[in-house]
Amino acid sequence: MFFHIVLERNMQLHPRHFGPHLRDKLVSKLMKDVEGTCSGRHGFVVAITGVEEIGKGLIREGTGFVTFPVKYQCVVFRPFKGEILEAVVTMVNKMGFFAEAGPVQIFVSNHLIPDDMEFQSGDMPNYTTSDGSVKIQKDSEVRLKIIGTRVDATEIFCIGTIKDDFLGVINDPGAAS
Amino acid sequence: MARNRRHDDDDDEEYEEEEEEEEEEEEEVVRRGKGAGGRKRGRSDFIDDTALEDDEDEEDEEDDDDEDFGRGGGGGGGGRGKKRRSGSEFFELEAAVDSDEGEEDDEEGEDDFINDAGADLPDEEEGRRLHRPSILMGEDQEDVDEIERQVYERYAKSSHVEYGDDATEVEQQALLPSVKDPKLWMVKCAIGHERETAICLMQKFIDRADLQIKSAIALDHLKNYIYVEAEKEAHVKEACKGLRNIYSSAKIMLVPIKEMTDVLSVESKSVDLARDTWVRMKIGIYKGDLAKVVDVDNVRQRVTVKLIPRVDLQTLANKLEGRDIGKKKTFVPPPRFFNIDEAREMRIRVERRRDRDSGEYFEMVDGLMFKDGFLYKTVSFKSISSQNIQPTFDELEKFRKPGDDVNGDVASLSTLFANRKKGHFMKGDAVIVVRGDLKNLEGWVEKVEEDTVHIRPKMPDLPKTLAFNEKELCKYFKPGDHVKVVSGVQEGATGMVVKVEGHVLIILSDTTKEHIRVFADHVVESSEITTGVTRIGDYELHDLVMLDNMSFGVIIRVESEAFQVLKGVPDRPEVVLIKLREIKSKIDRRTNAKDRSNNIVSVKDVVRVIEGPCKGKQGPVEHIHKGILFIYDRHHLEHAGFICAKAQSCVVVGGSNRGHGMNGVDALDSRFGGLRSSSNVLQSPRRLPPRGPPTNFGGRFGGGRFGGGRGHDSLVGRCIKIKSGPFKGYRGRVKEITSGFVRVELDSQMKIVTVKRDEISDTPGAATPFRESRFASGSETPMHPSRTPLHPIQTPMRDPSATPIHDGMRTPLRNRAWAPMSPPRDSWEDGNPATWGSSPPYQPGTPPARPYEAPTPGSGWANTPGGNYNDSPTPRDNSYGNAPSPYLPSTPVGQPMTPTSASYLPGTPGGQPMTPGNVGMDMMSPLIGGEGDGIWYMPDILVNTVRPGEDPHIGVVREVLTDGSCKVALGAAGNGETVIALPTEIEMVQPKKSDRIKILSSSLRGVTGKLIGIDGTDGIVKLDDTYDVKILDMGILAKLAA
Repeated sequence: MFFHIVLERNMQLHPRHFGPHLRDKLVSKLMKDVEGTCSGRHGFVVAITGVEEIGKGLIREGTGFVTFPVKYQCVVFRPFKGEILEAVVTMVNKMGFFAEAGPVQIFVSNHLIPDDMEFQSGDMPNYTTSDGSVKIQKDSEVRLKIIGTRVDATEIFCIGTIKDDFLGVINDPGAAS
Repeated sequence: MARNRRHDDDDDEEYEEEEEEEEEEEEEVVRRGKGAGGRKRGRSDFIDDTALEDDEDEEDEEDDDDEDFGRGGGGGGGGRGKKRRSGSEFFELEAAVDSDEGEEDDEEGEDDFINDAGADLPDEEEGRRLHRPSILMGEDQEDVDEIERQVYERYAKSSHVEYGDDATEVEQQALLPSVKDPKLWMVKCAIGHERETAICLMQKFIDRADLQIKSAIALDHLKNYIYVEAEKEAHVKEACKGLRNIYSSAKIMLVPIKEMTDVLSVESKSVDLARDTWVRMKIGIYKGDLAKVVDVDNVRQRVTVKLIPRVDLQTLANKLEGRDIGKKKTFVPPPRFFNIDEAREMRIRVERRRDRDSGEYFEMVDGLMFKDGFLYKTVSFKSISSQNIQPTFDELEKFRKPGDDVNGDVASLSTLFANRKKGHFMKGDAVIVVRGDLKNLEGWVEKVEEDTVHIRPKMPDLPKTLAFNEKELCKYFKPGDHVKVVSGVQEGATGMVVKVEGHVLIILSDTTKEHIRVFADHVVESSEITTGVTRIGDYELHDLVMLDNMSFGVIIRVESEAFQVLKGVPDRPEVVLIKLREIKSKIDRRTNAKDRSNNIVSVKDVVRVIEGPCKGKQGPVEHIHKGILFIYDRHHLEHAGFICAKAQSCVVVGGSNRGHGMNGVDALDSRFGGLRSSSNVLQSPRRLPPRGPPTNFGGRFGGGRFGGGRGHDSLVGRCIKIKSGPFKGYRGRVKEITSGFVRVELDSQMKIVTVKRDEISDTPGAATPFRESRFASGSETPMHPSRTPLHPIQTPMRDPSATPIHDGMRTPLRNRAWAPMSPPRDSWEDGNPATWGSSPPYQPGTPPARPYEAPTPGSGWANTPGGNYNDSPTPRDNSYGNAPSPYLPSTPVGQPMTPTSASYLPGTPGGQPMTPGNVGMDMMSPLIGGEGDGIWYMPDILVNTVRPGEDPHIGVVREVLTDGSCKVALGAAGNGETVIALPTEIEMVQPKKSDRIKILSSSLRGVTGKLIGIDGTDGIVKLDDTYDVKILDMGILAKLAA
């Protein structure tokens, strides 16, 4: 789920950036630092949409660095248990398949794939229904439900299921081509 | 009470005997007993009871239980009916002990009995009275009948107590032994003969009426002792006299009254054997096997269990056909389901029989009962263990019939529950009720009190908390929960629950991304992700390992059951998850590689990556394999700081850039130059690589010693081979180098010849290694194994003519350990006298470690051998570790040691001593005994040829050429094209267990055998021709081509 929230961060700025463009430097550094990171609480920071407030800088003794408390608005993405997501399959193996929804990696175990879909190994490993009408392979797009998340310092890993109503393949570029 | 127990004991004894001797008969008997119900059983009890009373009875019992019954039934012939009547009447009495009528009846019966007994053994009575003074004591000896009556009453009561269920605590108390009762004595006897001794005593008691002991007891759990019940110690002594199992000196100890009961109490180990519990077999070929209880016979202390049979049909067939029985098979057949068809195919007769009790059909083969492929076996309680059974999944899986409901196994789960650790449930745990009326109720643990768990049910209408017995609950998880396995095989793993199948969870492991099946009971909810282990098996973090598909990599992370390995692919960092079994071996050989400027790179050298994805990174080399460097850059955050790069895309920090585009002699020269310069650089403190670990460099450099630099004399002392010209094929040692020419001392002819510089090629063997190893290890840590010893080994082999010359020198050399070698090395290093004098590190007082650490020239040496010789092939990981100490101190005395050589080649004192040094090594000497792979390859072994820039090819060595290179036929079977590979390009294929191998070194060189086991770095080899089993270093074992 995406959220637009305000976060705060203390930015350290090298003295060489002090000057007329200090604010710009600060913002660009902030973007560089923050965008794409992940925290367990807020999830992935997708983009910074604006800076609300930059506090007074504090010069660090000894280094000359200045620390600014910065409040910024950003879009974060955090997967939740029970959330329905659309994701792109990145890898299929006999254990199940991995899919990605943006920065989040989701694993769908074969236990959580409908029973009528069977693993077909080979060049392009895939899960196929017995009649061959539905096929999950690399690059397929699937709709899945997240049933569990694990949050590391730098990534969020999810377990999903497609064993539910209205879940499963929504678009299969591989099959179309 | 004591008597009661004695009676038990007798019972036991009987059963034991029966079990051992005549199971069939016993079964028969007991079945009859069961069929007849309590009365019948009572009767037999009665008989047992009287066993001690009536000698004849006892005899009978001992002889044969069946007969005992017969006799019990009939008292022999005509008395049968009467006797039976008396017995049963007696039990009527027992059932209503207060009944006067009964008593009368009883008396009647007793009369019969007494008459009977009296008639048979009239003189026994007196003895019996003596034996039972406790009964008679304090009682007027009125009438024999009366006494007998009392006796029976007493025993009857006891048996009443035994089998009735209304015995109260108080009654029991009354039976405790008092001071008036006979005492219990503990007698030491021969170990393992406890029972025998007890029986001997009983027999003796029967035979000799004057014995005044009351009973003898052997306890199964007590070795070395038996108990004897008697009034006085003297009685015991008397009884024990002459028994061979009791030593006359044995002390007789009195058991205090308080402890008497303990002696005979049976710890009711609350053996909770119910159907469907899991047990393990304790003995026999099924020892350790999991079994499921299908039937329990508490009376006979026997259970019927269901096992996966370990039956060897072939043996069975043979046995049934009566052949080959004598041969005892030592191996235990693997557990396999029994297949009737298979058995029939082998012409084993399979009977189909219906079990009388259960009414089920079994296949009978040779007395074994099979059903659905399982073996049904009836065993005694003693031969199974029911405590702490933790069946693994695999085991359970096997037992599960397809279609079996996992949930249905509640009873079997109860076994698992019994093994729960304390504090199994914690507040907040989600649980589900698995038994009782509220089955399948979910809830959360609120409070735990001993065995009672209070839960807050999920259903809203139920009371706030409900109390359950611990065993009625099971932990409950939902898919998506992150859990940690806290017990069982998978202990320590963490993962997310993917699926819940009853009480079994399928977890996706965090680390391996694989599915794990665990019992819900074995996991707890946890957010932890397993880390922290740094080693699994033989492999440790940061080890270089060979993977099974001939790729290799560095372990960069150790997880609970897998490693993350950074593969040795230079183009991009490739990290794979590798399980322990996928790792073939650890690579700890020390190789060198050449950097872009052809400088030698060895482990711990600091290099900088100059191209590829990791361009600009810099750090010490941790591992080198096949021209790939694993560089540790601590500023590199990914992959634990490891960078994988081709040696060719790196430069040694401070290395030279020369060496491009040269060949032949020029190349040689320039390379030397490069080496030299690199040496210098390394020495020079100011150019120490910025990030180089100080330990690697600090103190290594002798300082100034090489400052002057050397000319081409670096080749001096090297063992070379002349590759063209009139001396083509000769081998020798370089004595001197002039521009374009070298003077070579021929090994075979004791003369020095001058040959063109470009007519020589370096040989991998002989002298070089000294330097080489030294240097190689010089730039590493001294303890690194070196290959030194190997080469010497080969010297004599290759030119045997040389051997005798040096023979004389061998002894002293060896005696002095490695002493002589040091000087040679020094001397030639500093080949010309000028430098010689100025080598302070070699002063006598030099700390031993020092010389080793002078690294620099070494790396130079390693590739001295011009273009045709890539890299010294041979020397790799030998154990050189022990060499240093003896070696060093003797340095200064190198000269005097070598009179012989000096005499025949004066003027080159430097090079001289080397020869003996080398040759001095007995080729077979186990000390140096060719471990490692500085070994010469041998025909027929399986190798990998690794050419720079090519994929490794597997091949079979067809022929070994004189210079160490091999003709290798490519392909695992050796049917591909034949190429000639330099030794450097060849790697032995590590044999695996039960591979056929060839020994490449040591006295067994060339011998073939089979690798029957691997123990660390040693392989256990069974030799083909002698069938000897040898333990040899894995390094000298090469896999033989199929």
